[in-house]
Amino acid sequence: MNSNFNTREPVYVQVIRYFKEQIAIGEIVAGEEIPSRRELAATLNINPNTAQKAYKEMEEQGLIHTERNFPSKITSDERILKSIRKELIFAAVESFVETIRPINVPIDELLQVVKEKYVNEGQEEETND
Amino acid sequence: MIEVKQISKKFGRKKILDGVSFTANKGEITCLIGINGVGKTTTLKAIMGLTPYSGDILIDNEKLTKHTYEKITFIPDAAIMLPQMTIKQAMEFMNDFYTVWNQDRADQMLEFFKLKLETRISELSKGNVAKVNLLMGLALDVDYILMDEPFSGIDMFSREQIADVFTSHLIEDRGVLITTHEISDIEHLIDKVVILDNGKVLKEFHTEDMRENEGKNVIDVMREVYRA
Repeated sequence: MNSNFNTREPVYVQVIRYFKEQIAIGEIVAGEEIPSRRELAATLNINPNTAQKAYKEMEEQGLIHTERNFPSKITSDERILKSIRKELIFAAVESFVETIRPINVPIDELLQVVKEKYVNEGQEEETND
Repeated sequence: MIEVKQISKKFGRKKILDGVSFTANKGEITCLIGINGVGKTTTLKAIMGLTPYSGDILIDNEKLTKHTYEKITFIPDAAIMLPQMTIKQAMEFMNDFYTVWNQDRADQMLEFFKLKLETRISELSKGNVAKVNLLMGLALDVDYILMDEPFSGIDMFSREQIADVFTSHLIEDRGVLITTHEISDIEHLIDKVVILDNGKVLKEFHTEDMRENEGKNVIDVMREVYRA
């Protein structure tokens, strides 16, 4: 994941997004223990203070919770977990729309291209596995 | 905290440092950057008391004394041990010489870097010399570690391994101050940047704050301040 970091966006924000993606696709599940900030820093090759900041922010968003002297865990709050998927879809679409708008493509044509691209690339990935 | 306050230094008529001020916090990695010959190494030497200067330097609110020096170590960019020594002998020497030598951490670092005890310093590649230096410095139980160009002139894999130390438990919550002229591959590892040019501090900032508030990386900021 190291080289995937964007140097112009706060790393802690990227770390939180990474966790949200992992939750959305089911790689990380409700109630699962998460690595310590040192482990996370070492795994993702980031500064430990940044890992700490990401966890603090996730704690505030209710994404993780920590009981004294225990490792932090992913929340089991269904409402929060469901909202993560929506949030990711919304954010991705928003940035896509922002990029495509200046090109002025009619919506039907656009949706057709999106559909072809999405379905075809999805299939390619499956055959690659 | 290391506080450097308005320090200046001249070699003959040339001002090497011209009122340099910045801070380096405990638990953070601070990076002194700038092209070569702007006073980075001189600043580290001043903090270590290896060169005279005017101005003040405080370590945890105390002026530099014998006592404050027990809190800091300096890792230069060249081999610090005699070439004929083996790594084992070098470690024994450090153990005899320093009361704050932590053998347990030294062993962990040896394992981390996959270095062998019986290898002689003279047989080490440049990258491995850098690793041995880092080992010798980090194995001391000190609060602050100064490193001169830990990433320069060494191979990519050694650089990555050294960078890995910064994110590991081996660094603990100590304060690290490093100099470098090549920031791009360690940008996400550091907390704070102090840009030095012509003996002056052009800018001092936390990298995450800069990304968050202005959407800029360290190179963007360097371009800005050098062009101004």
